[in-house]
Amino acid sequence: MRRAQRYYPIIPVLVAYAMLLGYGLLFPGKWQLVAQLAFYCTLGQAFNLFMGMTGYVDFGYVAFIGIGTYGMAISIYYLYDKGLGLFIVVIGFILAAIFSTLLSLAVGAVALRLRGAYFAIATIGVNEGFRYLIEGARIWNGADGIIFSLHLKKAVGRETMMVLSTFWADVLVFTVAIAAAVLTLVFMRNKVGYALMALRMDEDAAKVMGINVTKYKIIAFITSATLAGLLGAAAWALKLTYIYPVDAFAIHYTVEAIIIVLLGGAGTLMGPIVGGLIYGVAKYFLAIVLPGFQLLIFAPIIITIIVIFPEGTVGILKKRVMGTALQKYII
Amino acid sequence: MALLRCENVTKRFGGLVAVDSMTFEIDSGELMAIVGPNGAGKTTMFNLINGVFPADEGKIWFEDLDVTNFPAYKRAHLGMGRTFQIPRPFASASVQENIAIGAMFGSAGAEINVERAMEMADHYIEIIGLKKHRDKPAGGLTPTEKKLVEIARALAMKPRLLLMDEAMAGMNPKDIDGMVSFIRHIRDTEGIAIVSMVEHIMRAVAGLAERVIVMHQGALLVDEPTREALTDPRVVEVYLGHPPEEIDAQG
Amino acid sequence: MIFEQLAGNLVQGLVLGAVYGMATMGLSLIFGVLQIVNVGHGAFIMVGAFTALMMFQALGIPPVIALPAALILGMLLGMVIYYAAVKPLVSPSGSGIRKPSGRDAGIAVAIFISLMVVMRFLSGYYKLHTAFSIFVGLLFLYGLLLYVYGGRRQEKAAELATLLVTFAFGVILEEFVKQLFTSEARGYNWDIGKLDIGITVLPYTKLLAALGSVSIAVILYLWFNKTRAGMAMRSVVEDSVGARVCGVNVDWQYALSFSLGIGLTVTSGVLLTMFIPVGINPYMGGPYTLKAFVIAVLGGLASPYGAFFGGLVFGLIENGSYTLFAVIPGVEPFALTRFFSFLILLVILLIRPTGLLRAK
Repeated sequence: MRRAQRYYPIIPVLVAYAMLLGYGLLFPGKWQLVAQLAFYCTLGQAFNLFMGMTGYVDFGYVAFIGIGTYGMAISIYYLYDKGLGLFIVVIGFILAAIFSTLLSLAVGAVALRLRGAYFAIATIGVNEGFRYLIEGARIWNGADGIIFSLHLKKAVGRETMMVLSTFWADVLVFTVAIAAAVLTLVFMRNKVGYALMALRMDEDAAKVMGINVTKYKIIAFITSATLAGLLGAAAWALKLTYIYPVDAFAIHYTVEAIIIVLLGGAGTLMGPIVGGLIYGVAKYFLAIVLPGFQLLIFAPIIITIIVIFPEGTVGILKKRVMGTALQKYII
Repeated sequence: MALLRCENVTKRFGGLVAVDSMTFEIDSGELMAIVGPNGAGKTTMFNLINGVFPADEGKIWFEDLDVTNFPAYKRAHLGMGRTFQIPRPFASASVQENIAIGAMFGSAGAEINVERAMEMADHYIEIIGLKKHRDKPAGGLTPTEKKLVEIARALAMKPRLLLMDEAMAGMNPKDIDGMVSFIRHIRDTEGIAIVSMVEHIMRAVAGLAERVIVMHQGALLVDEPTREALTDPRVVEVYLGHPPEEIDAQG
Repeated sequence: MIFEQLAGNLVQGLVLGAVYGMATMGLSLIFGVLQIVNVGHGAFIMVGAFTALMMFQALGIPPVIALPAALILGMLLGMVIYYAAVKPLVSPSGSGIRKPSGRDAGIAVAIFISLMVVMRFLSGYYKLHTAFSIFVGLLFLYGLLLYVYGGRRQEKAAELATLLVTFAFGVILEEFVKQLFTSEARGYNWDIGKLDIGITVLPYTKLLAALGSVSIAVILYLWFNKTRAGMAMRSVVEDSVGARVCGVNVDWQYALSFSLGIGLTVTSGVLLTMFIPVGINPYMGGPYTLKAFVIAVLGGLASPYGAFFGGLVFGLIENGSYTLFAVIPGVEPFALTRFFSFLILLVILLIRPTGLLRAK
């Protein structure tokens, strides 16, 4: 396969996001829906980078989104009167990335030494643990959270703030999604991807083959966590302009991430987009028809996928197009 | 200079001494076998050599480098390859990808990029004669084919020492003959030391080994050329148990 | 002053710890036999809590009497989950793909539906939503697909899959109970007097809960060690191949221990409400999942008795650290205690994942 050809699978990803963005721009009334769909796709893309590629489930994943949200919140809350203007948003993203990276390093240092079930046990409390640390030690206002809409308004002006939280925040979410997809493909096409593939299928054999499994797990874990931090900064902090620990660390979002990745197909490039769109659209309509029921309906579907169709939608599609012209576009 | 040197290597699991103070050497390009009945500690010995778990006592040198505390992947980088008794190719990866992974992360892995690894994989696919299965997932192959993929994967790592766990278990006689000549061929062309692990000494005689180490209850029983080991009374006793008259006496 | 308070709280902690220990035995039993971590553990405790609440409020049955009902409900639930989703994923014989038979799928769906009917009947005075028909329909569909395609056991994914499946069942239970009872926190008041021991006051309900927990642990111990059925299950933990050779029906033991594990967990939910009869809501299980993991890891994850003693230790740690944190000004002792327990988990996993209380 020629070098350029190996990166063809990014084309359908870009087309899908462009279509979604275009739809939102053409129908401003649907922008909210588009923003929500973009959030779910991004959540899936970022989560998939670790869960899909390594086969480990991080049940505390939402903690990285939460800590990223705090990164942005802190930047705006403490720097709004320094005359930095929009630059505080940039600092916010940098802080979000740093915070989520540091947290992932700390969690990874313990959890990534552990295998399978023990890994799950180590991660399932991360979000709760972190929430209670913030509340208990009264870090960053503790349980009262940070409300920074006024600060943001003072820093960048009312008009800019409106556009920032209703439009640019969502565009930034799209950017994170594309970054996650590109990183996924770059991983897949390089040694990292092969190492992850090997350890996903047989960790002991991978070690014996000369693969430093811990190193590659950490690479995937940190990348995935940092993207989650950026997602939190854009999709939660900038959009809502407030943050409470109880929301920022709700396990609910980990559940949604798992659903999206499994629906689409764990470890595939297109999977999170397909999963995110299916889940987002279904949730949108269920919220109208049967409010509050989406998890009750999705949980049995998830069990069906795990037990009977573990490849997910894109996984099945991939098998179908094998040997056809579409093969090099869908992975 | 010995390629691999083990000195008083011991491993315990709870109260059980699985490997009991083993001392031996393996030379470059040597064809040898570790022989012993089920439970003799062969697999544990293999795992200690290539670092699946650390030894409780003793030291291991590889090319005069003390590797006792090296993790498995570092030992692989130094040039130790390994195959498993029940072949464990990466099931949903293609045959080509499986072998390429070996090339990418093996002893020369640092200088080999993905494209080069794929080319190397093609070379080894030719050697094992599985060209028609190149793009098929390895999980769908027959057991013998899986075994070949696993050997090719280990060879692609460019090892200086290849540890083969029961290379011929569950094969029919025709395949065994093929495998033996294949293993000898590898040794001659690639010039690497190959240590096979076999349960019964008769298999080792089939041309798999020039020298055997017989293990019994975790300890080294004999370390001598294959021909001599075959008739060594200690080895005979391990395999046949007590002489026939004693069995009669016990009923 | 502080020491007196600490002593009093430690007594409370020991009593609560007995209940915690019992609430973790089910988790350890399932892990010990099937090597599956029940990530939805807390949701089953929640089911027990609601069982106690409903029986007490609707029927006036005291929680002690509700214990057997909770055990039966839990075991039924465990059987259903095992046959519907766990068995297709794990292969007890350890070789090859094990497809569930049509009968497995049929039994699972049938029991699940009848459970739905019973629950609907029990909660007849609650408004039920059309979404329930969709939900039940999906379960039917699941059974049908399972029958047609069979379960898929993947290479390494079996472990990942069992984690996700137990997690998904936890979500189902939470959402199901939320639809029945809304997500508001409830409580009940069962007052049978108090015991004053000087340093602290213990309501009889709490003592009864601890007593119940200890008795269940003892019964379980006797059952494992003195009865044929118990020894058969133990043999599977120790050597499943050997047990099979000796004529133990390993598949049935798997089903039974999963079911018993869930049954014990649901029962512990009843005992926990006797200790803390407030804050009963569909999402109450989350913190208990975390606590159970800490306790199980303390006790060595695969041993129900280790879990019981882990529970005692954890009760002491929790109440002791709460008392000490309460002295520090400017912090929230309650939240900090929870963070502390998470920290303990990480530390144990870091230094000795096989359990602190276990002999080497």
